[in-house]
Amino acid sequence: MLSNLLRIFFLFLLFAQFNWAISAESSDTHQYQLSNGLKLIVREDHRAPTVAHMVWYRAGSMDEVNGKTGVAHVLEHMMFKGTDKVKAGEFSRLVAAVGGRENAFTSRDYTAYFQQVEKSKLEDVIKLEADRMSNLNFDNAEFLKEIQVIMEERRLRTEDNPSSLLNESLMATAYMSSPYRHPVIGWMNDLQNMKASDARDWYRSWYAPNNATVVITGDVDAKKVLGLVEKYYGAATAHELPVRKPQIEPPQKGMKRVQVKAPADSAQLAMAWKAPRLEPGKLDDPEPYALELLTAVLDGYDNARLNRTLVKQEKVVNDVGVGYDMISRGPELFLISATMAKGKTVDQAQASIRKALDDLKQKGILESELKRIKVRILSEQIYKRDSIFGQAMEIGSTEMAGFSWKDIDYMLEKMQTITPDQVQAVAKKYLVDEGLTIAVLDPQARQANGMEGKK
Amino acid sequence: MRFTYQLISTCLLTLVYIGNANAILPIEKLDGYKGAKAYLVQTKALPMVDIEVSIDAGDRYDPPNKSGLADMTAGLMNYGARGEKGILSEAQIADEIADLGANIGLSVGGERAILRIRSLSRKDLRDRAVQLAAAMLSSPTYDPKIVEREKQRTITSLQEAETKPEFVLERRFKKSVYGNYPLANAPTTKSIAAVTPADLTQFHKQFYRGDRMIVSIVGDVDRSQANEIVQSLLKQIPSNSQPIPKLPELERSPIEPLAQREIFIPFDSQQAHIAMGMTAVARSNPDYFPLLVGNYILGGGGFVSRLMSEVREKRGLAYSVFSYFAPGKENGIFQAGLQTKSDQASLALDVMSSTIAQFIADGPLPSELEAAKANLINGYPLRIDNNRKLLDNVSSIAWNDLPLDTMDVWTKKVEAVTLEQVRAAFQKYLAMDRMKIVVLGAKNK
Repeated sequence: MLSNLLRIFFLFLLFAQFNWAISAESSDTHQYQLSNGLKLIVREDHRAPTVAHMVWYRAGSMDEVNGKTGVAHVLEHMMFKGTDKVKAGEFSRLVAAVGGRENAFTSRDYTAYFQQVEKSKLEDVIKLEADRMSNLNFDNAEFLKEIQVIMEERRLRTEDNPSSLLNESLMATAYMSSPYRHPVIGWMNDLQNMKASDARDWYRSWYAPNNATVVITGDVDAKKVLGLVEKYYGAATAHELPVRKPQIEPPQKGMKRVQVKAPADSAQLAMAWKAPRLEPGKLDDPEPYALELLTAVLDGYDNARLNRTLVKQEKVVNDVGVGYDMISRGPELFLISATMAKGKTVDQAQASIRKALDDLKQKGILESELKRIKVRILSEQIYKRDSIFGQAMEIGSTEMAGFSWKDIDYMLEKMQTITPDQVQAVAKKYLVDEGLTIAVLDPQARQANGMEGKK
Repeated sequence: MRFTYQLISTCLLTLVYIGNANAILPIEKLDGYKGAKAYLVQTKALPMVDIEVSIDAGDRYDPPNKSGLADMTAGLMNYGARGEKGILSEAQIADEIADLGANIGLSVGGERAILRIRSLSRKDLRDRAVQLAAAMLSSPTYDPKIVEREKQRTITSLQEAETKPEFVLERRFKKSVYGNYPLANAPTTKSIAAVTPADLTQFHKQFYRGDRMIVSIVGDVDRSQANEIVQSLLKQIPSNSQPIPKLPELERSPIEPLAQREIFIPFDSQQAHIAMGMTAVARSNPDYFPLLVGNYILGGGGFVSRLMSEVREKRGLAYSVFSYFAPGKENGIFQAGLQTKSDQASLALDVMSSTIAQFIADGPLPSELEAAKANLINGYPLRIDNNRKLLDNVSSIAWNDLPLDTMDVWTKKVEAVTLEQVRAAFQKYLAMDRMKIVVLGAKNK
């Protein structure tokens, strides 16, 4: 094993490499704003002759209202159904013709579209993407077919997936008022009652250059990219966005529980605590960083605390995972989820998790545990640069949460200053029953009705 | 997300651009060591290195009553090993990997077991990561207590998987399509329970030999450093092995009446899951390129494929529908699939079957062929634009014994594919009266 002295030395050297990485990144990244309000961020990375082009709209499921849940994601699908110039199905055909890869995704906080192409094809995809920012034009028949596809997507991802069902109930229980209580794909009943006009309204409300950020990474020249983006996206006109009501989640005043019955073999447990997030403009708040590090101390590597004690020593759970994301538009949860080991109960697993957390709250964590986590964070920063797509994802998601891509380096530096005491303090302060929601999957045997057979 | 791309294990390869845009970087053959082959692509832009060891020790070598043995042999290598300075516990291994900022991962497929290392390229860090991986690769301890624990975890996971429609479908489809070939057998709770620590040690001893290994390296190391990595990794590995009994041939899926090829499995799920396919070709088959281009048109080309157009775009029957060839070193399979609401399974199956049948009979339209080639050729750089993808490609070339100039000629080979070649290749290797069909969870059947 390495001596402590050697570890500190590694850290120092890693820091040196890291600083180099930071400066290289910053000088390669350029930000512009068009007169119609569209923000453009370009990161030059000349390692290979390819480019990732993304447009991010700051409109996700948290902007939806009751009865129309899922509409942000429905519109994502409809965005491929044609404009005045590009008829239904043509968008994908044109991207394919230039060798592109494309897709789109919707989250609670945003909706994003991307293409990856060889660098000389960038203008083709910018032209296509800019066109559908303003000129989407799908008919009702296209909508009726696509809403069927989306219901199949919900059946595949959620209805037949017990973990997804558990997560859906967890969110709907943890939040009373925040729109985070709704699943991104929407409730099935809302999908069944969705109208083409709902999707069109959504498009008219939120798809505007002043609600969009274009991120382009790869083997490009920022100035030339700016020219292309002005030429095509510059044609879109800004309009006033709907007023976003705050919809602040009221403070939780006691533990909540929910049980979900679904076909499965093992019980599953999810424990979710309300936790603060990093606020734009308050980058020095140590608590969100400490919570991120707490996640890693509990679950950041193979011998992290929960895996070591619950899976390997006590053998009470088969798998355990911890989640917390310090940046988002809506309220955050600190989440521990586990699948039971054979013959073990949810109560036993919960007791073990609580014991591990109490131990941490009382005795704190070791300096060496935290160093290990910090080294990993630094090395991952270098590995992350292997993918231009990954870099565009990081920039876009950071911007959508209300931060600047320029904050990323500062956040990483700040993370390195967090002490074991600060990690212990957030565990004591936030992992308490008043803000806890517990969701349990109660496994049900499938209604087996016979043996396989021939037709 | 609008569509989840299915995993397509086609192992496509070619020109290597990384490091200097537009320049083609060569795959260098390194010195052989302990009977193993080794290859390198130098990419200097980032201070990191990716290393892969492919071991000819995949699932197909599982004894019939111990399915899962190959998987456990590889999977337990990081849970204890004998290093040069003594035993390393699973905790020590995990802590040291973390302290180095490295990643070490293991995976096992039908053909090969794979050990992957990602490290910063600075010599001291890299050396320690490689030494650690070398201990895991050559001297795993297979502590009986840990073996027992991991067996229990595997059994519990299997029992869970057996409640999932996609797992049950895939397992039944493999049994159908592989026939007498060992990959027809999948792990069961019983076969896992039968595995002992001695089995693991024996399997490791038998298959983890230099002459069954290939090392691929991509990243910021030069040729001599790469040779050092190979030697350090394989230092304790024996060079050659006793002859290993030959596997049976994967026989061509036979012509059978529909009633014998088609299986219905009752399953209480909202969606029916359907798989269709048969045995096909090896990666080195000269018809690989016509099949690759043809399958892009049939069901590999995402939103623009015929299956997607017929099943999803025109009829709204499914969220995901696909087809692919999974060509291996000696053989491979073709598979198509979809999921749909359980009461429309037979309609969806009809649409899928007739789309595939028509494609085999008539081949593509000229416009479809041109579109497919345009996509594959223009999109070629996206297959190799980072170290991770390059490593996949180098390793696939090496594993499949393809010429080292495979990269240089890839786009030319795609360009040269003709309509007639696509039609002929599909008719040669696929046939509707040979397709195995598994339908799980359909209602009204």
